[in-house]
Amino acid sequence: MASQLAAIVAPVFLCIAIGIGWARFGPPFDGDLITSLVYNIGVPCLIVAVFHKVEISPRALGEIALATVACYAGFFAFAYAAVRIARLDVPSYLPSLVFPLTGSMGMPVCYFAFGDVGLALAIVFFTFGAIGTFTIGEAIAAGTWSLRKLVRTPVIYAVALAVGLQLAGLRVPDWIFNTTNLLGAMVIPAQLVALGVSLLQLRIGGAARSAALALFRLGMGAGVGFAVAELFGLDGAARAVVVLQSAMPVAVSSYLFAQQYRRKPEEVAGMVVVSTAVSVVTLPLLLLALL
Amino acid sequence: MILKILSVIAPVFVCAGIGFLWGRAGRPFDTRMVGTLALNIGMPCLAFSTLTSLKVSPEAFGTMAGAYGLALIGFLAVGLVVITELRLPAHTYLPVFTSSNTGNMGLPLCLFAFGPEGLALGIGIFVMSSLFSFTVGWSIYAGRFAADVFYNNPLIYAVIAALAFMIPGVEPPAWLANTTKLMGGLAIPLMIISLGVAIANMRAQGAVTIIGISVVKLLAGFGVGYGLSLALGLEGAARGVLIIECSMPVAVHNYMFAQRFGRNASDTASMILISTVIALALLPALMLVVL
Repeated sequence: MASQLAAIVAPVFLCIAIGIGWARFGPPFDGDLITSLVYNIGVPCLIVAVFHKVEISPRALGEIALATVACYAGFFAFAYAAVRIARLDVPSYLPSLVFPLTGSMGMPVCYFAFGDVGLALAIVFFTFGAIGTFTIGEAIAAGTWSLRKLVRTPVIYAVALAVGLQLAGLRVPDWIFNTTNLLGAMVIPAQLVALGVSLLQLRIGGAARSAALALFRLGMGAGVGFAVAELFGLDGAARAVVVLQSAMPVAVSSYLFAQQYRRKPEEVAGMVVVSTAVSVVTLPLLLLALL
Repeated sequence: MILKILSVIAPVFVCAGIGFLWGRAGRPFDTRMVGTLALNIGMPCLAFSTLTSLKVSPEAFGTMAGAYGLALIGFLAVGLVVITELRLPAHTYLPVFTSSNTGNMGLPLCLFAFGPEGLALGIGIFVMSSLFSFTVGWSIYAGRFAADVFYNNPLIYAVIAALAFMIPGVEPPAWLANTTKLMGGLAIPLMIISLGVAIANMRAQGAVTIIGISVVKLLAGFGVGYGLSLALGLEGAARGVLIIECSMPVAVHNYMFAQRFGRNASDTASMILISTVIALALLPALMLVVL
């Protein structure tokens, strides 16, 4: 069991550690270049390649999509209540509590735990998160509403294409698969290294409050995940993916928005660092409960 | 056959094309950072992960490295004849014959033409090629012998570690296998994208000598590879991989070396650009020979 857990979590934390080491000793790290390569090229390719490799029934796809929406509704309700009860500023704290790190951390964990099927299901969860982050998340932080970022996100089109092909029972030709598989392979390691680098570069503030909120994100996420999985009667990989993705730490994208719109970036940074660090312990425990 | 060839060469064209457009659009691309990520982190992980998946025996791996060692002697001989005939200085024109794009262009071709076995065999050649470029090639540019670059190359240590698993025929623990597989995904896409960016930023001067040297290099490479594969009685993937790798164009790092040691960098850039364009154009024909 220990070696099985190590096989799932070690790749994630070792890649993050490489990023931390890089920030400490390596040459300057151009995070914008990596983000641009990953989000504009890598992720759309990964989505097309993964959905080529797996076969998921329309019913299973619909189920995980609905469960994901239910999870986000749950995160939203609990996080809003918590922020209000604690009399905190909604635009600063709500997005970081709602949107977990489903991409760089959730995808590899689900992949190593359940193979390509796990990754495909994790991608569905990730996609709703990405849509939510670029619409609702940003709208909360910015205070204004805009769909411009969403329609310019290539991820949306890749998912539409991949899911469409999957539902139609079609497969892309080999040359497209080889190309997208190659380009998609850089997504997860590049994101994890970038995460490690940014963990060391974040300027952290408000230690006690951000630590408490970080723990709330992890606990609330796991609770909502388990409840939704129970409600939808999910089992196997689908149940585990919903719970794991729900219980991921605070997303770095929340920090970027906080920085951009001056919504207490130091405290959000603290939440990112604390929740990521704590997940080193809680993630194996969660896997132990799920596998 | 056409579809098979397309599935082998399309990934190279698409990835290099992405890099080329990126470079032409003038978007920032930190070559040093991407190079470190691809060559110092991704490549050692890819080599370790591919070799320890035990698709090839240590003997087959050694045979490829040895065969390429013989090929390098042939390239040196051709190079010496050419530069003596044309009375050109060795420090700029000799390494052009011996340092080829065996990694960024050769490895994806080996992978998609012959699967993981082809990649493992290609890595045998790439290791030999890197060792040679970073010791002999480097020393020719520098004008003095330098071997420290050899010890600083993490690829060597990754191969030694891989051999420690390959020789007794044991698989590495799952956590290590998963981590290196994940990180190895960075190497090839980042290398080919970088190749595209480098090409986009180079200018060629079409002097007859330069074009001639580029053509002779490519023809001699193919001839030596083809001849050696016959002489050594290689078949299947081993034959194909040797011919592909020997036919690769002038390595991009020659330009960095030429710049660093104050050699004729603009001629080097011209030879890289011309040989790469010709090699890309001839890839379908090369695939017809090896597949």
